[in-house]
Amino acid sequence: MLYLIGLGLGDAKDITVKGLEIVKNADRVYLEAYTSILTVGKEALEQFYGRSIVIADRDLLEQGAQEILFEADCKDVVLLVVGDPFGATTHTDLVLRAKELNIPFRIIHNASILNAVGCCGLQLYNFGETVSIPYWTDCWQPDSFYERIIGNRVRGLHTLCLLDIKVKEPTLESLTKKVKEYMPPRFMSVSEAADQLLKITINVKNSENNGKALPEECLCVGVARVGSDSQKIIACSLKQMKDTDLGPPLHSLIICGKLHPLEIEYLSQFALNEQDVQNSVEV
Amino acid sequence: MVNFTVDEIRGMMDKKRNIRNMSVIAHVDHGKSTLTDSLVSKAGIIASAKAGETRFTDTRKDEQERCITIKSTAISMYFELDDKDLVFITNPDQRDKGEKGFLINLIDSPGHVDFSSEVTAALRVTDGALVVVDCVSGVCVQTETVLRQAIAERIKPVLFMNKMDRALLELQLESEELYQTFQRIVENVNVIIATYSDDSGPMGEVRVDPCKGSVGFGSGLHGWAFTLKQFAEMYAEKFKIDVVKLMKRLWGENFFNPTTKKWAKQKEDDNKRSFCMYVLDPIYKVFNSIMSYKKEEATSLLKKLNIELKPEDAEKDGKALLKVVMRTWLPAGEALLQMIAIHLPSPVVAQKYRMEMLYEGPHDDEAALAVKNCDPNGPLMMYVSKMVPTSDKGRFYAFGRVFSGKVATGMKARIMGPNYVPGKKEDLYEKAIQRTILMMGRYVEAIEDVPSGNICGLVGVDQFLVKTGTITTFKDAHNMRVMKFSVSPVVRVAVEPKNPADLPKLVEGLKRLAKSDPMVQCIIEESGEHIIAGAGELHLEICLKDLEEDHACIPIKKSDPVVSYRETVSEESDQMCLSKSPNKHNRLFMKAVPMPDGLPEDIDNGEVNPRDEFKARARYLGEKYDYDVTEARKIWSFGPDGTGPNLLIDCTKGVQYLNEIKDSVVAGFQWATKEGVLSEENMRAVRFNIYDVTLHSDAIHRGGGQIIPTTRRCLYACILTAQPRLMEPVYLCEIQCPEVAVGGIYGVLNRRRGHVFEEMQVAGTPMFVVKAYLPVNESFGFTADLRSNTGGQAFPQCVFDHWQVLPGDPTETGSKPFAIVQDTRKRKGLKEGLPDLAQYLDKL
Repeated sequence: MLYLIGLGLGDAKDITVKGLEIVKNADRVYLEAYTSILTVGKEALEQFYGRSIVIADRDLLEQGAQEILFEADCKDVVLLVVGDPFGATTHTDLVLRAKELNIPFRIIHNASILNAVGCCGLQLYNFGETVSIPYWTDCWQPDSFYERIIGNRVRGLHTLCLLDIKVKEPTLESLTKKVKEYMPPRFMSVSEAADQLLKITINVKNSENNGKALPEECLCVGVARVGSDSQKIIACSLKQMKDTDLGPPLHSLIICGKLHPLEIEYLSQFALNEQDVQNSVEV
Repeated sequence: MVNFTVDEIRGMMDKKRNIRNMSVIAHVDHGKSTLTDSLVSKAGIIASAKAGETRFTDTRKDEQERCITIKSTAISMYFELDDKDLVFITNPDQRDKGEKGFLINLIDSPGHVDFSSEVTAALRVTDGALVVVDCVSGVCVQTETVLRQAIAERIKPVLFMNKMDRALLELQLESEELYQTFQRIVENVNVIIATYSDDSGPMGEVRVDPCKGSVGFGSGLHGWAFTLKQFAEMYAEKFKIDVVKLMKRLWGENFFNPTTKKWAKQKEDDNKRSFCMYVLDPIYKVFNSIMSYKKEEATSLLKKLNIELKPEDAEKDGKALLKVVMRTWLPAGEALLQMIAIHLPSPVVAQKYRMEMLYEGPHDDEAALAVKNCDPNGPLMMYVSKMVPTSDKGRFYAFGRVFSGKVATGMKARIMGPNYVPGKKEDLYEKAIQRTILMMGRYVEAIEDVPSGNICGLVGVDQFLVKTGTITTFKDAHNMRVMKFSVSPVVRVAVEPKNPADLPKLVEGLKRLAKSDPMVQCIIEESGEHIIAGAGELHLEICLKDLEEDHACIPIKKSDPVVSYRETVSEESDQMCLSKSPNKHNRLFMKAVPMPDGLPEDIDNGEVNPRDEFKARARYLGEKYDYDVTEARKIWSFGPDGTGPNLLIDCTKGVQYLNEIKDSVVAGFQWATKEGVLSEENMRAVRFNIYDVTLHSDAIHRGGGQIIPTTRRCLYACILTAQPRLMEPVYLCEIQCPEVAVGGIYGVLNRRRGHVFEEMQVAGTPMFVVKAYLPVNESFGFTADLRSNTGGQAFPQCVFDHWQVLPGDPTETGSKPFAIVQDTRKRKGLKEGLPDLAQYLDKL
C-alpha cells in the first residue's frame, strides 16, 4: 500500500494520529523535501516517530518513481508531504503511476497553506486563483502570474501568492551538463516578492499595451511560518511590504481584493498602520 | 636596413596617415617569406647586428628546417617615397602633409592551409594584403581561400607575380605566352575579388590593375621586382608621355609598330604588344645575354640600361651575375614598397569602412566613432588577435591592433573575452596593462605607449584571455567581432602522458597550447581523455610537437587521429514526438526535418544568421528554400553555440505562456545540438519544429529545471524517429603534378574513397592540376602515400570543403556509421550500444 500523508504546517507534532500510526508501522518512509519545509528538520521527525526516514529530493520523486513504488504492492510505503498531499504541491503523478502498477493507495489529509491562510482573517471563499512567484534570473523573468493577480482583483478576489523555494535546485549552467551542481537553498521572502511585483508594475506602466497595473498602495498581507509558534502576520501596502522583514522562511503573500467589513476588522490587528486597512475598502 | 631607435619609431606611430598595416598572403611555397626578406633587407627596422639572416620572419627552428611558415610574424619597416612618387598618392588621408616616410607593419603569414587560422588572425589586424602568386603555378586553392577571407574582412589587396625567374629560366616561355599567363592570373584574381565584393562597395575599387600599378612582377628569390610604373618612368622622357598615361599603354591590347611608330589596338603582322616590347623584351635580353655567357653583349646592354655594377660583382657570371644585375636594375624592395605605400590604405582610410565589420556595438557610440576616425584621443579600442609565446615558458604576449585611443604601459583597461556581454561581468577583467611592447620578428622592444592605427604586443594580458579579446577603456564598449575561421578543427587526437604522474604537466601544457594557436581546441572528454583538435594532419603534428617540447615538456603518447562527425537526419520524424517534464505537468510536441541542401552552408557563411532582421530573413528562406514565411519568421534559435546550422522553429498556434519557456527550450536546444543523441557529436542540418506545448498554469512548475531536460529528450526523440545519419568532413584536395604522375594519383584517391571532379593542365606549363574530394577520415598518411605512388612528384593541398552524409544507417548493427558511432561512444566513455528511443519518447 502506498500512503501519502500530509504533515501539516508547523512542526513534527502536526501529523494526524492516523498518519502517525501508519508511519510507525510502515516498511519505508520518504520525506518529500523540495516543495516545502517544516520549521524542524528530519532528525526531529525521526525522533518523534521513533524510526528512520529517507529524504526524497526532486530527482528521486520525479524520475525515480520506480524506486519509491518498489514492492509497494506487498509492503507499506509512505511519502510524507509537508502541508497536504494534494494541496499546494500536487503529487498526482505518483498516484497515477501506482494505479498503473495496481498498487493500492491512501491519502491522509492535513492542513495546507491553501486553507491555513485563513489565519489572517481573509475569508477563504473570497480567494481567486492561487499563483506562485518564482525567483527571477537574468534571462528568465516570467510575469504571467501578474495578470492573474490583476484578474482576481478585478473580480474583487484575494490572491494567495506562494513564494519560490529552492532546495537542491541545479544551477542553470549545470542543467545542460551531466554532473549537476546545486544552488544554495533559497527561500523567497515577502519583501523580495513585493519588490518583483513592483518591478513588473513599472514594466507594465512603461509598455505600450496599456495593461492594468497593481497600485503601489494596494493592501497586502504577509504571512510567515503559518501554523508554527513563531507565526507572523503583517498587513500593509505593497510598497511598504517591500521593506518589511518577517524573519525566517517560509513566507506567503496575499494581495487583497475587495474587503468585507469583518475582514477589515480582523486584519486591523496585523496592520502596520491601521488607517491603511480602513482606507483600502475600495479596490 | 634602417637603424631606428624606439623613440624614432614612436614618432612615426603618431603619423597615422603614413602607416600601412599589411599582411603577405599566398598559397604555400609561392615565396612569401623569401619575398618578405627582400623587403626587410631594404627597409626593415632592426638591430643592425642581426641583418643578413634569411627567412627573417620564420622565427622558429622547425620553420627554418622545414622551410615552411607556421606562425605569422610581424615586422616593421620604414621607407621614404621620393617627391616624384608622392604625387601618386591623391587621397589626403593617405599621407600627412610634408611627411615622406612611411611606417609599414608587415605580417608574414603561413601559406599551408592547415595554418589558415594564422592568416585570419593576421588579416584582422591589417588593412591591406600583398597577395603573392607563383606565376608558374597560378592561382591555387589557398590563394583563393585567403583572398576571399581578406575581401570579407575588407582588406584591400595588391598582387605580386612571383618566380618570374622560373618562368624564364625553367619554362623558357615566349614573351607573348608569359603575358598571357600574367593576364590570366590577374583575371583569376579579379574574378575572386569580384565574387566577394563589388566596386561600388564601401571599399571602392578593389580590383587589381597593372595599369594602375597595383600589380607587381618579379622574383623574390633573386630580389628584383617591378610594376609598370618603373618601366613607364624609364620611357616617359623618351616618349614625352606622362607616366600615368604611359602605364595604361603598357598593358592590355596596346600594340606598337616600331617601323611606323604608331600605336594600335589590334595585333597586326608588323606590330608588337607593348608589354612584351617595352617590358619583357629588355628583361629577356638581359637574361639571354647573361645566361648564354655573351659577355660583350651583356656589358653593352648594361650600359644602355644604366646599370652600374660594383667591381667585385662584375666578375661574376651566369646565374650569380644575373641576380646582381637584375637586383641592381629593378630592386624588389623599391618597387614593392612603392606599391604598398601608394595602393594600400592607411588606417585612417581603412577604419572608416572597416568599423562596421569590426564592432559589435551600435555604430554611433563613442567607441564606434573613435574606431571609425582612428582617433588617438578617443577611448582605447584594441583587438587581440593572437598570443605569441615569450621566452618565459607559459607566458604569452597578447598581439593585436590598436583601433582607437592609446594603449600604454601601466594603464588600467577593461579586458573583455569573446563571451563578454555588455552590462554583465562574465569574461571581463579590469586590470592594468603591465607593459606595451613592439614586436619585430624575433625581437621585442619595450615602448611607452602605442596610438591608434598601430600593431603591438601587451604583457600580462594573457592571464585573462584565452586566445582573443577586446581591450578598451570605454565602459559601455561592446566587443570587437570575433574572427571567423575558414577552416574548422575536424581532425583530433587523444593524448596522454607516457608517465601517468605527469598528468598535471600535460593539463597545463594543453592550456598553453590552446593559447598559442588561434584555432587549436583542447578538450577534456567526459571519459577523462584529453583531445586536441586541429585543421589537418600537419597542423596537429606541429601542435603535438610544441606540446611535447615547449608547453608540457614531457613525453606524450598519442592516439591515431580521428575526425569529428556531425549528426543529422534524412527524413521527417515518422511520428509526433512527445516528452513530458519530470513533474509531468508540461508536455512538448516536436518533429525534426532535414534542411534543404545549401541552407546549412548559408548558415555557416553567415548568409542566414541569428542577427538578421527576422522579416528579411524569413523572406529569404521563403524565396530560396521554400520555407513557409510565417513559420520562418518564428525562428527561435540557431544552434549549437547560438549560430550553428540547426534551427528551432516555433510552429505552435496560440499557446499561452509560450514566451516564458522560450529561453529554457532554447537552452535545451543548444545542449542537444551540441551533443547529439547518437554519439554526442554536434548536430548539423536539422530543423526542429515545435508543434504544441502543454504547460502548467503556474510559472514555478515550468522553470528551467523542468523544461531544459525535457526539450533535450524531445529533440533526441525527434532525431531517432527521423532516420538519423552521420556526416563526415570532406577535403577539397588540389594536387599539382606532371602528366606522368596523374595515373598514380587516381589509384591513391580511389583507394581512399576520393573522387576527382576536375583535371586540367596549367596553361603554358607541363604541370597538371587534379582537384578531388577526399573524406578527411581517409586523408591520414595521404601525402606520404601520394608521394610514394608518384615518385615524389605530386603535392597535395587539402582544405576542408564540406560535410557529406555517410551512407548507411547508424542504428543498424554492422553498418559503417554504426561502427563509427560505437567507436566514438567508447572513446567518449559513453554507454555502448544504441540510444533507446523509449528513454526520450513519452506516451500520452
